[in-house]
Amino acid sequence: MLNFETTVQDSKSYGDLTLSEMEPILKINLRSNKREFSTKIGKLLSIIPPIEANTSSSNEDYSILWLSPDEWLIYSSNKISYEKQNLLEENLFKNISNINQGSVTNVTDHWVMINLKGSKIYDLLSKSSPYDFKNFKMKKGSVAQTLLNHTDVILHNLDDNNLNLFVRRSFSEDLWLWINDSARFL
Amino acid sequence: MTQELRINNNKFIDQTTRLSFKFNGEKLYGYKGDTLASALLANNIHLVGRSFKYHRPRGIMTCGSEEPNAIVQIGNDPSLTDPNVRATEIELYEGLEAFSQNCWPNVKFDIGGINNLLSPLLPAGFYYKTFMWPASFWEKYEFFIRHSAGLGKSPTKPDPDIYDHKHYHCDVLVVGGGISGIMAAKLSAENNKDTLLLDDKNTLGGTTIYQNNDCFKIDDNHTNYWLEKEIKNIKNIKNLTIKTRTSLAAYHGYNYLLAKENITDHLSPDERKDKIRQRLWKIRAKKVIIATGSIERPLIFNNNDRPGIMLSSAIKKFIDFYGVKTGREISLFTNNDSVYETAISLKKSGVNIISIIDIRDKSSSKIVEEVEKHNIKIYWNHTIVNTEGYRRISFIEIMKLSDDGSGVIGKKIKLKTDCLGISGGWTPMVHLFTQSGGKLKFRSDDNVFLPDKNKTPSDQISIGSCNGDFDIKDIILNSNKDVKTFLGIENSSFDNLKVESSKEKMKRNIWLLPSDKPIGKTKPFLDFQNDSTAKDVKLALREGFKSIEHVKRYTTTGMGTDQGKLSNMHALGIIAETTGTNMGELGTTTFRPPYTPLTFGAIVGRNVGEFFDHTRKTAMHNWHVQNKAKFENVGQWKRAWYYPKNGETMFEAVQRESKAARESVGILDASTLGKIDIQGTDASEFLNRVYTNAWSKLAIGKCRYGLMLNEDGMVYDDGVTTRLGENHYIMTTTTGGAANVLTKLEDYLQTEWPELDVYLTTVTDHFSTISICGPNSKKILSKVIPDLDLSDEKFPHMSFKNSIINRIKCRVMRISFTGEHSYEINIQSNYAKNVWELCMDAGKNYNITPYGTETMHLLRAEKGFIITGQDTDGTMTPSDLQMDWIIGKKKFDFIGKRSLYRSDTIRDDRKQLVGLLTDDPNEILEEGAQIVEKLNQKPVEMLGHVTSSYFSPNLNKSIALAVMKSGKKLKGKKFFVPMENKNINVTVTDTVFFDKENKRLNA
Repeated sequence: MLNFETTVQDSKSYGDLTLSEMEPILKINLRSNKREFSTKIGKLLSIIPPIEANTSSSNEDYSILWLSPDEWLIYSSNKISYEKQNLLEENLFKNISNINQGSVTNVTDHWVMINLKGSKIYDLLSKSSPYDFKNFKMKKGSVAQTLLNHTDVILHNLDDNNLNLFVRRSFSEDLWLWINDSARFL
Repeated sequence: MTQELRINNNKFIDQTTRLSFKFNGEKLYGYKGDTLASALLANNIHLVGRSFKYHRPRGIMTCGSEEPNAIVQIGNDPSLTDPNVRATEIELYEGLEAFSQNCWPNVKFDIGGINNLLSPLLPAGFYYKTFMWPASFWEKYEFFIRHSAGLGKSPTKPDPDIYDHKHYHCDVLVVGGGISGIMAAKLSAENNKDTLLLDDKNTLGGTTIYQNNDCFKIDDNHTNYWLEKEIKNIKNIKNLTIKTRTSLAAYHGYNYLLAKENITDHLSPDERKDKIRQRLWKIRAKKVIIATGSIERPLIFNNNDRPGIMLSSAIKKFIDFYGVKTGREISLFTNNDSVYETAISLKKSGVNIISIIDIRDKSSSKIVEEVEKHNIKIYWNHTIVNTEGYRRISFIEIMKLSDDGSGVIGKKIKLKTDCLGISGGWTPMVHLFTQSGGKLKFRSDDNVFLPDKNKTPSDQISIGSCNGDFDIKDIILNSNKDVKTFLGIENSSFDNLKVESSKEKMKRNIWLLPSDKPIGKTKPFLDFQNDSTAKDVKLALREGFKSIEHVKRYTTTGMGTDQGKLSNMHALGIIAETTGTNMGELGTTTFRPPYTPLTFGAIVGRNVGEFFDHTRKTAMHNWHVQNKAKFENVGQWKRAWYYPKNGETMFEAVQRESKAARESVGILDASTLGKIDIQGTDASEFLNRVYTNAWSKLAIGKCRYGLMLNEDGMVYDDGVTTRLGENHYIMTTTTGGAANVLTKLEDYLQTEWPELDVYLTTVTDHFSTISICGPNSKKILSKVIPDLDLSDEKFPHMSFKNSIINRIKCRVMRISFTGEHSYEINIQSNYAKNVWELCMDAGKNYNITPYGTETMHLLRAEKGFIITGQDTDGTMTPSDLQMDWIIGKKKFDFIGKRSLYRSDTIRDDRKQLVGLLTDDPNEILEEGAQIVEKLNQKPVEMLGHVTSSYFSPNLNKSIALAVMKSGKKLKGKKFFVPMENKNINVTVTDTVFFDKENKRLNA
């Protein structure tokens, strides 16, 4: 097996704020505007892709985040082995892409997932994100696609003061430094 | 400290905490809660600086952000000093050190004061008129002008302080914490609106918080008492956020506003360590209530600028708020009732009032009657015609006004005074309103510009004195009514307030007060910071400047750091009066952000140093760093540029890397290229429309190079696309173009071709790409992936294979950007560094050489392969690049097709890509150098320019690519490349310099 090497490989605490990279997590991008697509996904993963903007559906194993009217991001709730990742990707590809019901693209290493917990996470985000988090933080499962320190991120609200942040791998080291720098001044 | 100038009866200053500070090197003391200005005045210091042009002594004039004179340099370290800080705004802290500006050797004796004696020779426009001739002397003048220009000294080192940003969203933003702002914030927050209240001071309440006058009462209490209670109450409202020490800097469209919060500026240097100094708030508010108040106007009369001459409202604040007497024998000069409030405050504190000079005939308001009861001498219908005192006012001379106010009559009266309070009425602060796009209207009763309700951008109102309500009764009634309507509130706790006030009944305004001397012999200052006088404005008008914007620039009125907060209205008034124009028609100058100066630090926030810009890194970045790579920025990526060994120069390293790649094997990190996963039943048709060549017949497992054009037919991007399955492709794009290409293609799918069943997903970061090239590349790959059949039959050039390296899936493409036998391994990024290391290990015996972008550029130039963005510049068609072969002429359509057949794009004399060889093979051309045919032609005709140039170690000569007019027809012709010291002889050649038969691809 090849060595697995992510960008951050760290977790930090500042008061009650904790920041930790959560990898390896499976991430798959889905795109479709076909009618049967939702049912197919429901059967394969036991979750229906949400149709309401900026929301998500979750079960014990996976979350599906709404990204656009025809695009979703699936990610696994827990760390998952490479073999299991492959199996799921192949199964989805076979049952969606191969029968022309949409696209299935593995983006596991495209995104790095960082978990942020603590009472001041929104103070941290508001330092460089123009997004209005008022509704986002009130609704568990909310999804936001915004900028953090000029970098594209996807945010998924897990619970009160607990969210997952997805950032592109190439930007992740830079953003991690910024997050840690800003966390010092909360 | 001069204790007799302090009174002990106020609660805003903590007289138990004494603070030491230095001013011009002298150790002084003040109290916690003081500003530098109040502490200086308590030490009997009025003289704080010198004026910009004439170097006249100037003193503290105001108590707020409008201060034109008391601007000081903070800090004694020239490398970190802070210039142009208003003494009226900076809060005193232990160890503060401040210095006067614009004076040498010191503020009391300033050599530059000679300018004051020369002032008759330095009228408005002096510089424009004097330094025009002879034109060749400008650079000599400039040297001296630059040395005398500017106020304060810039620090020489980078700012060590930390600055921060904060984005904030609210239902209602209230700007200004005076009485109307407090009322608005309470109404808003109590009605369940998330409300943000900002005030630039550290204490809420504006001027009302220290208004303890029997003439002004709310519900039978003094106004300050009533307001204190209200402020205490609003601090407990849950959805109200209050930020003090926060000044609104800019009001942009759609209720987007910027505010600067001072966090540690009031703390001693020790207390500031490792803390954020200032924070820039970026506020998006659904509704905005502007309650920024008004500022008092000065009066314009002869020698109105001496230290000790202050706004009457400032004298009142210094005595009522800071507990500081600004003089021992104070006189007041006015055209309205405001100074009578000051008079009562002074009287209560036991200050001797010499006299009140009022240009009105009489006033019968309650407050005036109250003052008259104190037997203070009031000179009605009088004006000041002169003042005396060089470093501090000592005397005023007054005379009676003529009936029409244009002259003076009678006997001159000389009065001794050490401080003069002046009041010329009030100017509403409409800056933020106009910044947001609001238009003003003029109210002639009291000569004020006010927000025009019919021309106010949506979702904002102005209330209080910035909306023209100057009487406390009007402020309360109108603010309550307007805010209720604005926020849709039915009832408020302010509905039945009982308010008592002193209504001003008599007004008189004279913009330029007369003197007993002709105007030419007087100095009535309008703009105290820039030293422009009323006669400068009149001169500008005589010289033909009519627009206020022109007069402003010619006289520099309103162009100082105070942005003319005190001077603009008088300049307008004098222009209107002189030209016989209505002030309302004349309009105002444009109020631009920021309202008060912003530090660059606050604007930039944390985006300095390592956070100045993003850096994108590949999975192998740390390997490159460990192996001493030099990096170049490509887009936001850090790409390995070259890997110098043993002190090699870039040239030497690139020569070594290039030879190694051609002779054995080179390895390149190509991960930064954009990668787009394309799926859907119409994927082939989509590619047909996107690229110039045909894609339908590309077999599964094969790769093809494509050129993408803009709608104008010009080359936009290029790259290799691979067919992974029946309806599945992976496209590569240029590094810098990746995001734009994806956006453009997604845009086409959503808007132009919605009928296509195609889905795009970026996988640029998911896959890392390791490119191995050179005659031994096959041997390396066979060691890394032993199971893969690498024979030319099974794995030919321009094809791909799915494979596995140590249980991890990968895609291997046999494609080449160097002309060598090459492979690209695409693998999930988190495993890529390990694969790179495996390749390096496998290549040990073959001298595997990592190479960077510079060598990559050289190798591809040897083959004549273009780089989009280097050999193209948005004006090159495929035909210009001599790539007609890539245009699918039988294709029905593709982006840019129609444009390729325009008369302009089929011209023979367009610039076309050519190869260039120098006659001297060791001469390397400079990229960007021009190419000409005739050296002595004037003007010389420039036929084209060099786009890529290198010394090829494999050909042992210099090579270059260039674009030249009619380039296709020029092969074999000779030209010149003129350089600074020589002319280089060149010959046009084919664009392919190396391995024209492509034999090495299958070597």
